[in-house]
Formats: sequence, structure tokens, C-alpha cells
Amino acid sequence: MTPLLAAGSTALLHNALLVGAILFALGLVGILARRNLIVMFLSAELMLQGISVSLVAWSRYHGDWGGHVLVIFVLTVAACEAAVALVFVLQAFARTGRLDAAAWQALREATLPRAVDHALPASDAVPPRWPRLARAGVEPPTDEDASLEREHV
Amino acid sequence: MPPLSPATLLVLVPLLPLAGAVLTLVLGRVLGSRAHLPAIAGIAAAAAVAVMLLLGTSSQVGSAHDPHAEPVRPVEMITTLWQWASVQDAYVPPASSAAAIPGTAVGGAGSAARAFTIPVALRLDPLTATLLAIITCIGLVVAIYSVGYMHHDPGYPRFFAVFSLFVFSMSMLVAASNFLVVYVFWEAVGACSYLLIGFWFTRPEAARAAKKAFLVNRVGDFGLAIATFLLWMTYGTLDFHDTLSADGTILPGILGQTRLADAGGIVGGAVGTAICLCLLLAACGKSAQLPLHVWLPDAMEGPTPASALIHAATMVTAGIYLVARSAPLFMACPDALAAVSIVGATTALVAGLIATVQNDLKRVLAYSTISQLGYMFASLGTGTLLGFTAAIFHLVTHAFFKALLFLGAGSVMHSMGNVIDMRRFGGLRRIMPITAATFLAGALALAGVAPFSGFFSKDEILASLHGKGWPNAHGEHHDAAPASHARRALSPGEARGEGATAFRVASLTRSPAAAPTAVLDTPQTFRVLFWMALVTAGLTAFYTFRAVFMTFTGPTRVPEEAGHHAHESPPVMALPLLILAVPSAVAGWWLFSSQWLAHFLTATPSFSAPAVTATAVPHAFHMDLAIQGTLAAAIGIVIAAIGHLGRRSDGPQMERFLGPLQTFFANRCYIDQLYAGLVVRPLEGLAIMAALFDRFVIDGLVNGIARLPAALGGVVRRLQAGLLQRYALAGVMGVLAIVLVLAWRLRG
Repeated sequence: MTPLLAAGSTALLHNALLVGAILFALGLVGILARRNLIVMFLSAELMLQGISVSLVAWSRYHGDWGGHVLVIFVLTVAACEAAVALVFVLQAFARTGRLDAAAWQALREATLPRAVDHALPASDAVPPRWPRLARAGVEPPTDEDASLEREHV
Repeated sequence: MPPLSPATLLVLVPLLPLAGAVLTLVLGRVLGSRAHLPAIAGIAAAAAVAVMLLLGTSSQVGSAHDPHAEPVRPVEMITTLWQWASVQDAYVPPASSAAAIPGTAVGGAGSAARAFTIPVALRLDPLTATLLAIITCIGLVVAIYSVGYMHHDPGYPRFFAVFSLFVFSMSMLVAASNFLVVYVFWEAVGACSYLLIGFWFTRPEAARAAKKAFLVNRVGDFGLAIATFLLWMTYGTLDFHDTLSADGTILPGILGQTRLADAGGIVGGAVGTAICLCLLLAACGKSAQLPLHVWLPDAMEGPTPASALIHAATMVTAGIYLVARSAPLFMACPDALAAVSIVGATTALVAGLIATVQNDLKRVLAYSTISQLGYMFASLGTGTLLGFTAAIFHLVTHAFFKALLFLGAGSVMHSMGNVIDMRRFGGLRRIMPITAATFLAGALALAGVAPFSGFFSKDEILASLHGKGWPNAHGEHHDAAPASHARRALSPGEARGEGATAFRVASLTRSPAAAPTAVLDTPQTFRVLFWMALVTAGLTAFYTFRAVFMTFTGPTRVPEEAGHHAHESPPVMALPLLILAVPSAVAGWWLFSSQWLAHFLTATPSFSAPAVTATAVPHAFHMDLAIQGTLAAAIGIVIAAIGHLGRRSDGPQMERFLGPLQTFFANRCYIDQLYAGLVVRPLEGLAIMAALFDRFVIDGLVNGIARLPAALGGVVRRLQAGLLQRYALAGVMGVLAIVLVLAWRLRG
């Protein structure tokens, strides 16, 4: 009976793999079930970390540093990927004014019907309320083009 | 510099015009208005070389006036340029094939397999030398004339390039020594003709005429192709000349001296007749004979110099050349030979009748060309040495005077602002004296008036027909090989046939090999043909002088298209007229009195076959025939003078007395309409059917196949829902599937 944290411990491996699998399954469900782009992105990260956990577990079990190295590498890549993905999310939000992935369903084949289960929230119709500040100082020159560019924000 | 060998000279004749054509084509835009220089230089050099060859060949043949001369030996020179194709063991002659000749090495070998070789070989013999000289000399004169006529035409370089190319093709056609090479250049001259008829292709009539000429010629070319196939099947070679095989045996060519010397060397019977009729069909197409003559009158849409060279003087004589070259083949098939005569004489008569009512000067000349070619065919079909030489004699004189007449017509057209309808001008002799005088010389030659060249050649043709129709009338016996002199012409009364019985009965047999029962080849046939030819002679004189009187006599009238510059043509156009007027006037007398051409042609291998030489008759001037011919011409001229001399050409014409016949002839005997109804319309219907089939069935199939990927795509397209979650789900499913498969594979 080896100690719980000793290398080659089957119990540790089982537990760690279980945690990894749970993380992965949670992420998978999240990415399939949620429509919020940021949550979907988080779910994808969760799946990534589930895999990382199982990598570490196997590495520990075999007494090999390869898995650890790979995990460090995954973390690095995930950080870069987060930067890129968040830019995409931001841009998508800038285009539609929403974080809903279903807002992009216009990209479907033209012959297919809309596939949302219910109508989109009516919040579209309500103009966003921006905080108002008291006027002070000299009024800056307004750039009309700039306001036109970001109609949703 | 060493003198050039005859072989080199022979190659130079076609090569120089080809070089001229290529140069004109390449440098045409650079040369601009000097684009005629390469072409004329090439044709002029070729003409000089051709005349040298003619004189050289003539010196080999020897003089005609040597009374103790041996029978003329065939003169032939072959120069093989390269082997076009060579297939080993392509032909195994059947045991009883004519490809094997009894008594030669090949005959003994029996069924030795033989290679299929197409040597590009040029030949030089009297017939070729004569035609080469005619083609290049007339070509040169017409090319010089074109410098003036085509002046300021936007297609000036193109004209001279095609013109030069034509001279090349035609030289190759008459110099080639192989039926397949002949076929190639047969097509090449047709293509040049097409290009020149459609020279002004922006005019719909010209484009249509070019298309018509090309398509009608296809029918004839089909005949030549079939004849070539049959010749290959029958003889196992396509060469004219004998060749030496690798093992030293002689492979006899179709018209080679080995085969010609052998009495049974040429196949007669059904196969031979089929070959000859196919060759006749080909000749009919190119030489515009009766069933296929419809293209030539329309070909007058081309520039007049092209009409003069191609559609009057040279290309249309390719059919005459082909039949003359294949004379031994025809000699073995008397019925095919008679068919040649019948076609020729009928064409001569019908074309002559149509020509009498044409009002377009060029069309009169075109129908006259058809008619004169018919004359030559009638003469060829007699199958006698006199007939063959007379046909070539007429070919030569006709080339001169018909080129002259066409160039004269072109001169008129040039001056009259491209108006060619004779009713719209008249009395032009006061405006253009040189053209009028030279045209008159040509017309006298064409009509067959005594001292002019056409008289003598026409007389020989009539004599050859007469000799076949009344075999005994002139005391000629057809089976005598040595030429016994001293048979004199009879008085006209005896010539009619009443006195014939007083002379010994001559055998009608032409050669021992060719004595099958002839259906068409009877004296009665040729009597009819003789009378047809005689009537044609009268018609020829009539329509020729009708044209002369309508154009050059009467009150001077000029169409408004001519403007103020109705004038004599410039010297560059008048000079060729004067040059051509000389041989038109005197060539016939010289060639007839010296018998130079007839004697010269006898040395052609095709005319030296025993079957041909057996028909030789002593040369004689038949006063009775000359009187008949002259009488016919005189009657024609007198009637033309009564109707047209000094009258306004736009007034009511004398031909109106013909009544409905005039309409019939003016509509060209409705032959075009007949073809339109029988051939063109059904073919157009077929074409419409084919177009509909193509549009609906073929296109439907193609479009159906094109719709298949679209249908497949329609199924897959439903997956493209635009929902990220679905795409992710599809990815997960895919990974799961892969995992399952892997698990299944690795379970053991």
C-alpha cells in the first residue's frame, strides 16, 4: 500500500483522473449548453484544465516529468489563446451588441429557418442607459463619425 | 557556280512562291504598299525556272519534224524530297491482284507484304513542265496586274500572300507524283480559292460564295478520297512512278512505266470504272462540271485577278490535269471515258446556253470558262492521243485568252467604279482603247476565229470528237502504231460519212486489254457529242461577242459610280493585257503548225502507254472541220452583231425572243434552286434537328450531371445551421466516434 501521494499510487491516479474527467465533462456541457460567448470560452478553458489534471496525474504515476512540462506548455498556450479569444469575443460584441452566440445564427444557410428555441430577449429594443455626468468645462468637438461607428455600444 | 540540276530547279518552282508567301505574310505590315514585292519576285523567279525546265525537258524529247524519229520515249524525272509516312507490311496483295504484274519480279513473288510509304516526290515530265510554265507565267502576269487593281485595298498584303500561296499549291499539285500528295494540294488550292473568293469577307455575298465554293468542292474531294482508297486497295501503292525496293525489285507505280508497258497492268472492269468515276467526280468538282458547276459563277465575288488566275486559267484546270494524268486508268474503262466526254459536252452546251443571257460581264466569262472546260473534258473523253493532247492544247490557249478576258473585265470594272452589269455602260472603246482592243483579241480567240489561238485548239477538239464519231471518215485507223503519213483530209461531203464506206473498215478496238462491251463508248454517242460541241462553238461566239458589243460599242455611257474618272487603266494594268494578247493571238497558230506541244506531250508517261499510243493518228488539218467550226463561230458573231452591235446595251435585248427559255437560262436552268430544294433545305432541316437535339438532349444530360453535386450539397447544407453549439456537438460526436472505433480496434 503506497502512500496516497507517492509516485505510482493507483489511488491518487484514479482520484486525479476522476477530477480531470469531471472538469472536462463540466466544460463540455458548458460549451454545448451555454450561449454566452465568455462562458463558452471559460468552459473551453475548463476542458483544457481537466486534460491538464489528467496529464499531471499520469506523469506522477509514471514518475516522469514529461506530463508536467506539457502542462506548463498548455498553460502558456492557454494564456495566449485567452488573449486572442477575448479579442474575438470583444469584436463579436462590438458587432452585435450582445454576447449571445445565437446572435450569429444569420450565418446559417439562407434556406434554413431560425433555430433559436424562443425569441431573443427584447432588451434589443431598449436603448442602453449610459451614465450621465454633469456638464463642466469646454464642450469637446463631437466627431459624428465616431458615434456612428459604434451604434451598439 | 555550277549549273543547278533539274531536280533542284524543280524544287525551286514551288519553293520560291512559298517563300514569297511567307515573306509577305511576315513582313506584310512593314512593307505596306510594297507588299507585292516578295510575292512578285518569288513568282517571277519561279516562272523563269519553269520556263528553263520546259525548255530542258523539250530538248530531251527531241524535235517533232524528224521523219525518221524513233517512237517517242517517255521522259520522266522523279526527285523524292522526303518520306512522309512509312508503315511496314501494310499491304498484302491477294493472289490475283493487279498490284502484282505478270512478268516482273513482283509478280513472281506473289503475295509479298508491302510497306505503305508516302514519298513526297516531285516529278518532271512534259505534262508537268507545260502546266508549271503556264501556272507561273500567267500567275506572274496576273500578279503584276494586281498591283494596279488591288491598289489601296486594305487587304493588300493578304491578297499577295494568298496569291503566292496559291501558285505554290498549284505547282505542287501538278508536280506531285503520288495520289495522296496530289490530294493534299488539291485541298490546298481549294483553300486558297476559298480565301480569295471570300477576300472581301465583309460583304455577305462574298462570304456566302466562298462557303458555297468550298462546300461544293467537298463533294468532288470526296470522290478523290474514295478514288485514292480504291487505288490503294487495288494497286497497293499510291505512287505514280516506279520505285526500287530495298531488295532491288521494282515496285510498279500506278502510272509508272513498268505498269504502262504491260498490257494487263491497269485494272478495268467494275473496280476500274469505279475508280475512274470517282476521279471524274473529283475533276467535276474542281473544274466546275455539270453536277457541281454551281460554285464557279458565284466565285466571281472575289477580286478579278483571283478570278482570272484561279477560276479561269489555272485552278479549274486541275480536273483536266487529273484526268489527263490518269489517262491510262481511263483507257482501261471505255464507259468511264465516254462518261467524261458526255459530262464535258453536256456542260459545255448548258453553260453556253446560260451564258447567252447573263448580263454580268464576269458571269458571262465564268459560264464561258465552265463551257470551255467542258470542251476539254469532251476531248479527254475520246480516249485518243489526239483527244488528250487537244485538251491540254486547249487548256494552254484557254489559260491565255481567258486570263486576258478576265483581266479586261477587271479593267472595265476598275474604271466603272466596280459596276460590272453590262446594261449600265456601253461604248467603252472610246474611253479605254487598250482594254477594248485586247478584250477583242481575247474574244476572237475564245470565239474561235481563224488566226487566233482558240480556233486551232477548238479545231483539234472537234477533230478528236469527229474521229471517234466517224472513225473512218478521215481514213484514220486506230490500231496502227507507226504513224503512216499521207492520209489527207477529205472533202466535206465525204467527211459527213457518205464516203466512209469507200474506205477500208478500220478496227474500233483500242487495245487488246480494253475490249469489254462498251455501253456508252459507241460512235453514235460521239456523233451526238460532236454536234453538241459544234453548237457550243456557235453559242460561244455569240455570247462572247454579245459581251463585246454590249460593253465596247454603241453610245458611250458610264454609270454614275464611275464618277468623273472613267479612264483607261494605268500602265501596270494595261501592260499585262498587252502581254497576254500576244499569245492569245499567235500561240495557237504556232503550236498547231509546229505541232510542238502535241509532240512534246507524247513523251508524258501517261500518254505513252500502248493503249494511248495505239490511237495516234497522223497530224492533219481537217479543212471540213475548220469550215464547220468557223461557220458556227461566224453565225454566232453575226447574230450577236444583229442584236447588239452599236445598240444601247440597256435597251430591250434580242434574247427576249427566246421567251420563257430566257427566264429559264437567266435563272441558270434552276439548278441552284434544285440543289436548294433537294440538298440544302433537307440538310438545313437536319441541322435544325441536330441543333435541337444538342440543345435539349445533350445539354440536358450535361446540365443534369451538373445538378447532381448541387442536390448532394442540398442534403449536407442542412447541417450549416449557424449555431456554434451544433458545430461543437458535431465535433464532439466525431471525436466520440473516433474514440469508439479506436476502442473497438484495440479491444484485443
